[in-house]
Amino acid sequence: MGIKRSGWIIAGIALGLLIWISGPAGAEEVPAPAVPPAEGQGSGFAGVKSAEYPEGGTAAPTGKIIEKNPDVGEPSIEVEILGRKPISKDKTEDSTQVSGQKLRDSPRPSTLEALSQEAADVYVSGRGAMHGVSSGASGGIHIRGFGGSPNSQVLMVEDGVPDYQGIFGHPIPDAYVPFLIDEVLVIKGGDSVLYGTNAMGGAILIRNRWREREGYEFLDDSAFGSYSTLRESLSMLGRSGPWDTAAAFTALSTQGHRKGMDGDETIGEAAVQYRRPDYLLAIRDKLVHLDGADPGPATHPTPDHRFDVWRNNASINITKDTESVHLTAIPYINFGVHRLYDGFYSRDYVGGGKAEADWKIRRSVEALIGLATEQVEGKVKNRISDEKSPVKGSNNTSLYHQLSLWPVGPITLVLGAREFWSSKYGFAFLYKAGGRWEITDGLFLRARVARNFRQPTIRELYLPFPTANPALKPEFSRNWDFGGGWESGRLEISCMGYVSEADNLIKYFGVWPSAEVVNIDHITIPGVEASVGLKRLGPVSLFITGDWQDIGRYTRQNPDGKLDFTLEAGKDFSEHFLGGSLSGEWVHGLYMADYSRQPINDVFTMDLAFRYRYDLRERGLTLEPYLFLRNFLDRKYAYIKDYPMPGFNILIGLKMEI
Amino acid sequence: MLRRKLIWMFILIVIVGCDLAYPEVAVVNKTNKYILLKNVSFKGCIWNTVLAYGEATSPQQCLPGEDKVHFQKFDAEEYCQEQVKDGTINGLCQCEGSEGITAPVIDAGLINVNPTWFNYQTISIKHVGYGDFKVYEITLDDIEQDFSTPGPYGH
Repeated sequence: MGIKRSGWIIAGIALGLLIWISGPAGAEEVPAPAVPPAEGQGSGFAGVKSAEYPEGGTAAPTGKIIEKNPDVGEPSIEVEILGRKPISKDKTEDSTQVSGQKLRDSPRPSTLEALSQEAADVYVSGRGAMHGVSSGASGGIHIRGFGGSPNSQVLMVEDGVPDYQGIFGHPIPDAYVPFLIDEVLVIKGGDSVLYGTNAMGGAILIRNRWREREGYEFLDDSAFGSYSTLRESLSMLGRSGPWDTAAAFTALSTQGHRKGMDGDETIGEAAVQYRRPDYLLAIRDKLVHLDGADPGPATHPTPDHRFDVWRNNASINITKDTESVHLTAIPYINFGVHRLYDGFYSRDYVGGGKAEADWKIRRSVEALIGLATEQVEGKVKNRISDEKSPVKGSNNTSLYHQLSLWPVGPITLVLGAREFWSSKYGFAFLYKAGGRWEITDGLFLRARVARNFRQPTIRELYLPFPTANPALKPEFSRNWDFGGGWESGRLEISCMGYVSEADNLIKYFGVWPSAEVVNIDHITIPGVEASVGLKRLGPVSLFITGDWQDIGRYTRQNPDGKLDFTLEAGKDFSEHFLGGSLSGEWVHGLYMADYSRQPINDVFTMDLAFRYRYDLRERGLTLEPYLFLRNFLDRKYAYIKDYPMPGFNILIGLKMEI
Repeated sequence: MLRRKLIWMFILIVIVGCDLAYPEVAVVNKTNKYILLKNVSFKGCIWNTVLAYGEATSPQQCLPGEDKVHFQKFDAEEYCQEQVKDGTINGLCQCEGSEGITAPVIDAGLINVNPTWFNYQTISIKHVGYGDFKVYEITLDDIEQDFSTPGPYGH
């Protein structure tokens, strides 16, 4: 009898808890931004993070969406929704959206590692404060089994501009600092239809900030920590009439936790935007300088393997809006100079442009059509021996189109194709198709398939580091994913299954001087990714994301499983705010070589972050001291064999916002 | 006032102190008088010096944890014997009382006059922790060839 009664009591408590959790978050909930039907999706925490951590008026309107009452006979009501267009152009893709504020608050040492904390199917290796370049570098991004080293199967796109080096074909992982970032969208399963080559396993879209109200704001973030680490970031956003300005300067200097991990990173970025009601012109330039070393394995250190890298990204963004058409044109150039300890010297550039028209044909039909062209060139020589490596650039042009349909209210369909022509490889046809069904308010199902593409890099074709193969063919992938989720005021849950298939994947085997780089046959990687979030349970929020995949035989730096969690708590006391977070990462099934050879111990690390914010409203000043206790359990772990990560270390900083 | 200073000093030590507490390690060549060691490395430390028999490295702060001591070994006695056998050193021959006997004719392409430094490591694994000071002696009964040395190319 007693058991029966206690069972009822437990069931009642559980039911009450479930109703409370699934109910609306109440008055403290920040309303989600208004979006057209079926916009703003993405798995898990898409959009929610932005709402949870509002940017405080930093997002500037870049367009407008005009909705007309479709009912004939009724007076036409024109509703003008001012705000930025959603960063996602495909409403059916599986994605994780992370706000810039979340990245700025993260205790993880780099932006890419902070992104990895938010999605378990994104794995980013680390080696300490900086990722570095060339051998021994970390920062390889894996999404659902693709990517890594060479890190050219995941495409970074910053303000619509693909960001990768001409010779090595991958981005510089240290070049992304969060101080101007508005939001980041991680597209899982790739999208070469919209973004072209390299978006094989995924694409990471970065959108930078603009101020949306008249005036100026300054943010200064100074931090000092273990290993003589000094970080200084200064950013400015301004709006004066039709002119918007944005600038940021970041400098990081560290001695590193071991010899050879010392380095300096300097990033300067400036942007100006001229804004009229129906058109917009923005110019942006980012200059990156990295000076560091490959420390080598701890067993055989190489602290004198220095590198010196300069890169510059410049782009112009022109947009024009009519009532139903949004036109965009973006010319860009990305060039860089790399110098390595052994005399290696390279100059490379990626230059191109794209023009895109986004046309809202009817309320339920939206078409996107674009034309993109790109030229990749590079020069390589050894400054010591004056030996030049013969390399050949390439160019490509493609036409792409996408159709978004809302045939029935809760259903979204997206179809897309890209006709890609390469001067070296000829024609390639890429496609995608996806659907999303909003079953009830918050409950959804979705599925998508995408055929993606990557052409070999100049390094893989021509440079003997450690080997080259001019006969390499491009890689193709076909990524399927399917699943569903439920989003409510306090609870968010999602589960996605995926199958990543690839043909002609480019892989390195062996070591110098007997190494080879070849195309391998068909591979299939099935996996499942799930996330659960409990938001605003009093002052506390909890987010857990996990991923498991059957990686097959090519196991090098491609983990079987990953789990990330973040427990946050924060409370406002009038002008004071006190908050903190406990975050952790567990990585399972890491190997340093293919065929499950050279296993690495599971990674498990936890970080603590504390912050206090004091809002001096009368002076328009916000002070925010913070403290990061990284790896506070002093775990000995490594993502790369014999590149041990730092033990317990501290970073103390102060943010000042005017 | 003093209390406040002490608190600030404590905070400063905590911040910068993680690497100050790293273990200190020195390595001594105790093989034999004909063997030279160079590029000795252990747990993130590397000594770019050559150690004759009995010589020690300077102490360096290495990462806490465990590792073998890795180094490159040159056996001068073995090298001399090889060179004598190949007849590359005038006035030296293989044994006493053999003056006047000419060295065997060897294809010049097979003769290597460059000294070769082979990669070696200790058989035993050494453990170091925060605050330790350890002196490791390299002895002939505790060394083996090291095939874990990474190749020269990467980029």
